[in-house]
Amino acid sequence: MTAVFFLLFSWFMVTAKTRRRVFAVALAGTVAATLIAPPRVQAQGSLWVAIQGVLNVINGTIHTALNSINSVRSTISSFYQGAVWPVQLINQAKAQVTQMITQYRNLMEGIFTINLSSATLPTPQALESVMRNHQTSDFGTLATNYTNNYQAVPGATGASSDDRNLTDMDDALAMDNLKTLKATDDADDLTLSVADQIEDGAGEAAPGSAPFLTATAIAASVQSQALTQKMLAAELRQEAAALAHANALRKSGATSTGQLGTEIQNLLKHN
Amino acid sequence: MKKIANPIRHGIRIVLDWTRGHKARVAVLVLVLALIAPRPVKSQFFDPCCAIMAAGLSTISSTLSSVIGGGLNGILSIEQTISSFEQTVVWPRSLIAQAQALVGSLQGTNNQIQGVIQIPVNSATLPTSQQLENNLLSANSGQIGQTGADYVAVYGPVPAANAAPTEVRNEVDMTDAAAQAAMKRAIEIDQLADLEIQAANQINQSIQTAAPGSAPIIEAQADAWLVRANAYTQAATADLMRVRAIALANNGEDVKSGSTNTAALGQQLLNLLKRQ
Repeated sequence: MTAVFFLLFSWFMVTAKTRRRVFAVALAGTVAATLIAPPRVQAQGSLWVAIQGVLNVINGTIHTALNSINSVRSTISSFYQGAVWPVQLINQAKAQVTQMITQYRNLMEGIFTINLSSATLPTPQALESVMRNHQTSDFGTLATNYTNNYQAVPGATGASSDDRNLTDMDDALAMDNLKTLKATDDADDLTLSVADQIEDGAGEAAPGSAPFLTATAIAASVQSQALTQKMLAAELRQEAAALAHANALRKSGATSTGQLGTEIQNLLKHN
Repeated sequence: MKKIANPIRHGIRIVLDWTRGHKARVAVLVLVLALIAPRPVKSQFFDPCCAIMAAGLSTISSTLSSVIGGGLNGILSIEQTISSFEQTVVWPRSLIAQAQALVGSLQGTNNQIQGVIQIPVNSATLPTSQQLENNLLSANSGQIGQTGADYVAVYGPVPAANAAPTEVRNEVDMTDAAAQAAMKRAIEIDQLADLEIQAANQINQSIQTAAPGSAPIIEAQADAWLVRANAYTQAATADLMRVRAIALANNGEDVKSGSTNTAALGQQLLNLLKRQ
């Protein structure tokens, strides 16, 4: 390519007729030669400087950075194993769970299952027994034993309608609560078994699996709180009924007193 | 030979003559030739520049191996230690699965509790009391509007103005109000407790499919439910305390009325005796 250019350029220079043409060809050729001229070769010293620069970056910046990362990761590793999740303390915690299960579970179960029955006569004994048996399949027996102990609601001819409704309501709410208590006693037993299972699980858990147990324990607490509320609602009904009963007697007393006063006044007027 | 040499000599003479006559053109040609002439190429084997480059690259390579490779290997080793520690001590897959299985088995117990608590306990035998009892045990806040009427059907209305003194009517009305409010609260609390049990079951189900990283979120939600449940328990306790406070107030009121009536009766008897 360069040879072709030089031959053409020489041809134009030799055959140029006028000075102006010679000048034009010379100018064009010089400019073109300057543009296509091969680059100068770099000095050997600058290559060595460049290589040394790369080595400096590797030995300086990168080496320091890698050392720092290594140091930080080592610190994190030590922190995890020494402070956050020390295996020794994890094992110690699990051992404590197991030890406390052994120390308390049977003891508390023994206390909780002591027989509290206290009735002395056959009829109350029968009622007391069914009241406290933690079963929900014998509500019929409970009603029978309750009636045996507290009598049935008087027949239509045995008492006024108001009194019959009042006593029936009293009996109903009392029995409702006794049934509710049998159900909650049963639910309590199940709740205690849930607590035992969660505690057993805690004794075998890892830090990463414990949150599952914590979450389910809290869900069980919500459920237990709901059971407490059910009992509280029953207690509210019972207390309200006792208050309403007393109030019904008050209403009846006030009405009777008013009627008695009127009767006495009528009697005095007649005399 | 002479035949060949003579034309060459003649050509050279012509060129030299032309050169003497066109010095400027020759100068330009020489300049351009100098500019475009190719530079010498460096030998790959004997050029000192390539030797320096080879030595430099070799040094870079060994430095990369020792400094960067060594550093990265150190980091890799620590990362492997951390990874192994996390997988065997912190989050062992088998223990996570075991915990999830336990939660699943507890779900069965929770369902049992829910079943036990839903068993009907109705016991009234007469229609009027049955109606009130059904209302009270409905666990349906939509039934609260009917509670007042059912209550009055069993416990009677407040005496009319001409049937009892004002103080007695006020006491009776206040007592009925406290008793009815407590009964209505009991209906509310029963329904809320049912919803809490339902929510607890839902939470328990979601724990079974959670990850160690998402379980604390569910735990936080369960905590919130527990706080809410405590608040409802407190509301129910408050109504229980109100009922007992009204009962106590009634006892006090009865004593006050009794003493006032006794004094009035004494005065009436004195007046009667004086007339005779």
